[in-house]
Amino acid sequence: MATTQLTSISDHNFEQCLKCSICTVYCPVAAVNPAYPGPKQAGPDGERYRLKDPKFFDEALKLCLNCKRCEVACPSDVRIGDLIQQARMKHKSYRPKMRDMMLASTDLVGTMATMVAPITNFTLGLKPVKAVMHGVMAIDKHRTFPAYSQQKFEAWFNKNARDYQNTFAKHVSYFHGCYVNYNFPQLGKDFVTVMNAVGYGVHLLEKEKCCGVAMIANGMYNQARKQGEVNMASMRKSIDQQRPVLTTSSTCTFTMRDEYPELLGINNDGVRDNLSLATRFLFQLVDEGKIKLAFRPEFKMRIAYHTACHMQRMGWAIYSTELLRMIPGLELIELDQNCCGISGTYGFKKENYETSQAIGETLFADIEAAKPDYVSTDCETCKWQIEMSTSVKVLNPISILAQALDIDATRRLNSSEWHRMDA
Amino acid sequence: MKFDTLIVGGGLSGLTCGIALAKRGKRVAIVAGGQNTLHFYGGSMELLGNVNGKDVDNPIEAIAQLNENHPYSKIGADSVAELAKKAKALLADVGIQTIGDATHNHYRITPMGTTKPAWLTIDGMATSDKADQLPWNKVSLVYLEGFIDYPIDFAANGIRQMGVQVETPTISLDCLKRARRSATEMRPTNLAKIFASTSAVAQLAQAINNSCGDADAVLIPAVLGIDNDDVCNMLKAQVNKPLFFLATLPPAVTGVRINAALRHYFQMLGGRYILGDTACKVVTNGDTVTEIRTTKLLDMPLQADNYVIATGSFMSRGLVADFEHVYEPLIGLDTNAPDDHEKWSQYGMMGDQPYMSYGVMTDGNFHPLKDGKTLTNAFAIGQILGGHNPVVMGDGTGVSMITALAVANQIK
Ligand code: SF4
Ligand code: SF4
Ligand code: SF4
Repeated sequence: MATTQLTSISDHNFEQCLKCSICTVYCPVAAVNPAYPGPKQAGPDGERYRLKDPKFFDEALKLCLNCKRCEVACPSDVRIGDLIQQARMKHKSYRPKMRDMMLASTDLVGTMATMVAPITNFTLGLKPVKAVMHGVMAIDKHRTFPAYSQQKFEAWFNKNARDYQNTFAKHVSYFHGCYVNYNFPQLGKDFVTVMNAVGYGVHLLEKEKCCGVAMIANGMYNQARKQGEVNMASMRKSIDQQRPVLTTSSTCTFTMRDEYPELLGINNDGVRDNLSLATRFLFQLVDEGKIKLAFRPEFKMRIAYHTACHMQRMGWAIYSTELLRMIPGLELIELDQNCCGISGTYGFKKENYETSQAIGETLFADIEAAKPDYVSTDCETCKWQIEMSTSVKVLNPISILAQALDIDATRRLNSSEWHRMDA
Repeated sequence: MKFDTLIVGGGLSGLTCGIALAKRGKRVAIVAGGQNTLHFYGGSMELLGNVNGKDVDNPIEAIAQLNENHPYSKIGADSVAELAKKAKALLADVGIQTIGDATHNHYRITPMGTTKPAWLTIDGMATSDKADQLPWNKVSLVYLEGFIDYPIDFAANGIRQMGVQVETPTISLDCLKRARRSATEMRPTNLAKIFASTSAVAQLAQAINNSCGDADAVLIPAVLGIDNDDVCNMLKAQVNKPLFFLATLPPAVTGVRINAALRHYFQMLGGRYILGDTACKVVTNGDTVTEIRTTKLLDMPLQADNYVIATGSFMSRGLVADFEHVYEPLIGLDTNAPDDHEKWSQYGMMGDQPYMSYGVMTDGNFHPLKDGKTLTNAFAIGQILGGHNPVVMGDGTGVSMITALAVANQIK
C-alpha cells in the first residue's frame, strides 16, 4: 500500500499553494506591467509546468524585482520569489549584457569611480553622457546616479577611527556595503559614532566583498557565490573573536542571511545568527537594559518611515521603528506598504524605467502628503529612488540616532555601566 | 518588546479588536502571518443569515434560537445589538460607509447571481430587500472583455430567474487592452489598479452610456476603488443611469479596500502591525500566557498584559486537521472536534459540514481552554471559535467583529 505523505517535501513550499491569488494583489510589477505574468503564475503555477518540461520557462520571469512582497502576503508561506529566482537560475538562456555587468559589479565600478569622483559625478550628470548611457549601455537617461564620494569610507575609517577602537570593552565588526563605502560614507561615520557612544568598538572585516544582490538580480550567480564565500569566511573569523557582524543596509543583511543559503547554496551556518542589522542589535541591547541612550532635549524631527521590501521580508522593520520611537522629539509616521520601484539595479535599466517609476507613484504621493522633515528607510537603493522622485531627503535610522543622541551623555551612561558590570 | 495587548492574527477580528483598543490609548501590536481572508469579502458583512434552515430577518431576535455554545449566546442578544452598532460605526471611522443594520437583514447578490442575507453592505453595491426579487425590471450587466474572474452567464441567469430582464453588453476599452496581454492577471484587483486613473474611469463611463439602451439600472463587477471609493463615485456621477456594483470572485477589490483601510487606521492610532511574521510559540505559566515568539523576531520575545488569539479557521491555519485530530497549533487549545474523523464531514460539499463549526472552546468571556482550564489573560476571537458555522448560518464576519469588540470591552 502506498504510504501517505504527511509533510511538505518540495523546495520553497511550492505545493502549499491554495491558489487564493492574494499574492497577485501585492506584486508591484504585475500591477503596472502586463508583460509580467505575476507571482502566482510565475511562481507556483508555472513551477508545476516547468517541473514537467523546462520548455515552459518564460523569459518574462526576469521582470520580477525579487522584492518578495508576494511572499510576505502569501497566507500559506509559499516562497514565491525564491521559486521564481530559482527558475531563472536553472533555466535562463540569456547572458548578462555589458551594462548589466557594470551595474552589478558595484565594487569594481565603485572603485573606479571613487578614484575619479569629481569627474565621474560631473560626467554622470552631463546630458550627452546620459544620452550615451541611455543609447549604448541602456541605462535610463532620467536616472540621477548616486554621487560617488571622494574618500571611501574604508579610507576615512583607517585614517580617523581605527586606532581608538581597541579602547572599548566590547566589539563588533561592520559590513559597510558598497553604498557606504563609495557613495555615502557619512552613514558609516554615524554608525561608528553611535556604536562608540554605547561602548562598542567598531572593526572592519578582514575582507569585504559586495554582498552580491545586484549580481543575483542580473543573473551573475557564480560571481555572487564567490563573493559570498569570501564574506562568510571573513565573518566566521570575526565571530570567532566574539565580534558579531552588523550592517546598516537591510538588503545586504537579507541577501547574506537568507539568499545565500536559499538561492546560492552558500552555507552560512554560524554566521547567520551573528549577522544583524544595527538597529536590531541596538534595540535589543536597550530592551534588555544593557545599554542606555541619552537624547538631546532640543531635538525635533518629523519622520515618515518607509519599510523597504527586504526589510519587510525579514520582518525586522519593528526594530527600526521602535528604536526611532525611543527618541522623545521624534514624530513617526509609518507609510503604507508600497514598493519604491527601484529594487537594486532594476530601475536603472532603460527598459524598466517606466515600470519602476509607475510602481513608486503611490509611495511618492504618500510621502509628499505626509510632509515629513525626512523619510527614513533601512535600504540605500530606496534612498536613491525616493530622493530622485520626491522633494524629501532620506536618512537611515542610524543617522537619525546619531543626530538625536547626546553623545557625551550617552557615553557616560554606558561607561559607568561597564564599570558596574566589571565590579 | 512589551505591549499592553498582543493580538495574533491580522484579519478582520484582529484588526477590529486592535482598533478598539488603540483608540483607548492602549499599546497594541498585531502579528499577521501573511494576508487574510478579508481578501475574499465581496462587500457585505453578515451577522446571522440562517437558523434551522430558514433565512433570518432580524438577527438580534434570532439569537434566542442559537444553542449556548454559539459566540452570540455567550455575549447575549442585547449586547450583540449594542456591539453591532459599534461595528458599523468603526467601519465608518476607517472610511467604509455601509448600509444595513442588525435588526433587519437585506440581501446581497453573489457572483453566481443568487441572493444571501446580509447585515452590512458597502455603499454602492447592488442589494435587494427580498430574497427572490430585485428592485429593477431590466438591467444591463456589463461584461469587461477578457475579465476571467467574473462568471457572467451564471450571474445573468440568476438575475433572470428573479424576473428581471438582463442584457450583457461586452465593453472593450483601450485602457484594458494592455492588461489583456496577461490573461491570467486580469483579476479584479489588477483591473482596479487600471481604474485608479480618472481617464480610465471616463472611458468606462462613456462606453457604458453607449451600450446600455433602455435598462433601468447598470450593474458592473466591483473592480473599482481599491484605495477608497472616490473612483466609484466618479463613475456613478458620469453614468446616466443608476449604477450598482456586483461582488466578484476573490481577490475582491472591496475586501482589499476594507483590509487596507482598517490597517491604515490602526497604524494611524499608533498600533504596530507586524506583517509577514508568524507566531510560532506561546509560553504559558499555569493559567497565564507569559510571552509569544515569532519566526522572524527570533530571540526577541513579545510580551503583553493580555493576549488575543485571532488566527482564524482552517484556511488561515488557526486550526489544523491531520489524519487523526483537529487541533489548534499555536497553544494547543482545546477544540470541540471529536477524535473520530469519520464524523468531521458528511455527504454534500456545500451542505452542513460538521467541521465548519469546529473551533476552540472558551468560557463565557472568551478565555480559551487548555487541558480543561481557562487561560486567564488570553482571549480567542473570530473564526477560530467553535460553535458557529459561517457557511450554513451566515455568521462569519459578524462573529469576527462582534467577538473582537466584546473582548476589547473586557480588556481594562
Ligand atoms: S498567495 Fe500563496 S497560496 Fe495564494 S496563490 Fe499566491 S502563492 Fe498560492
Ligand atoms: S518578488 Fe516582487 S516582483 Fe517578483 S513576483 Fe514577487 S511581488 Fe512580484
Ligand atoms: S546590497 Fe550592499 S553590498 Fe550589495 S551592492 Fe548593495 S550596498 Fe553593495
